[in-house]
Amino acid sequence: MAGSRFLVLGAGGLGCPALLGLLAGGARRIGVVDCDVVDATNLHRQVLYDLGDVGAPKVEAATRRLRERSPGLEIEPIPLRLDERTLSSLLAAQSADTVVLECSDQPDLKFLVHDLCGEHHLPLVVGGVQRWGGQAMAVRHGAGACFRCVFEGAPPAELAPSCAAVGVLGAAAGALGFLMAHLAVALDAGDDVAGTLIALDLRELRPQQIRPGRRAGCPGCDPHAPRPAQGPLGPACSTSAAAACSR
Amino acid sequence: MPNVRIPTPLRKYTQGREEVTVAGDTVGVVLDGLEQSYPGIKERICDEAGKVRRFVNVFVGEDDIRFLDNLATAVKASDEISIVPAIAGG
Ligand SMILES: [Zn+2]
Repeated sequence: MAGSRFLVLGAGGLGCPALLGLLAGGARRIGVVDCDVVDATNLHRQVLYDLGDVGAPKVEAATRRLRERSPGLEIEPIPLRLDERTLSSLLAAQSADTVVLECSDQPDLKFLVHDLCGEHHLPLVVGGVQRWGGQAMAVRHGAGACFRCVFEGAPPAELAPSCAAVGVLGAAAGALGFLMAHLAVALDAGDDVAGTLIALDLRELRPQQIRPGRRAGCPGCDPHAPRPAQGPLGPACSTSAAAACSR
Repeated sequence: MPNVRIPTPLRKYTQGREEVTVAGDTVGVVLDGLEQSYPGIKERICDEAGKVRRFVNVFVGEDDIRFLDNLATAVKASDEISIVPAIAGG
């Protein structure tokens, strides 16, 4: 545990609490990836930042905040716009003891990260949050079901309500981000958490655990199935983030 | 009647209800009944061909209906059907 590395993709609503949760869970080596800047309208759920950080790159503000909390922390800010090429080289450069946390707000990117982690033999935790709830799943490719065993693909933009339109409760992002950190630390410790999807809705406070079987022909984990098709990435859930990243 | 757990993104169709009961002896019949009571909800779960969408999963209890008989999967009055879509935000 002491030496393991955690790579957090996205330093927004899920990434901020996930980073705090990793620190609380004893992580000492963290990489954080984001190409966006801190936006005043997201501060309610992006709990690492304050008004003084508005306009600053998220990875810089997050790194500063986490170092203040834990001076011995080895943290690497990675200001990178993720696409298939940059993500592939980023994952190829990770040490074998890395656990990836997918905290972005892009539906297509979540699946791309999942698939490329499989190719690079890295365990990961995938999460998503919207309105009052969301879901998280730990995946170790080859051990139990993968995310594509549960969901064959990402929702198209016209059927996925945008976070900008429906909002995200700060406490929901917090609960799911901490849950993701917990799952990442547990994966790293070798606990039996891989392959279970946990869905949580703060309005009913009845977490749902789904432990699906591996699906024959799953493009995410069946070595005999064709690799999932990767098109260009669709828009982020919050369109303002997408605009910032493409600048 | 089987109980259906409605995921957060689809509760706008059920007036905010997180659980509803719908008559039916298969998952498909229950989803049709759901559409009758809450118009518009089924097209968010199934595509034009009537198949469950790629980013949605339907469970009876703990069991994924794709490992059973898909929409023809039999359900009892005591069963709980969960509709679980991939959540996109972060
Ligand atoms: Zn799979």
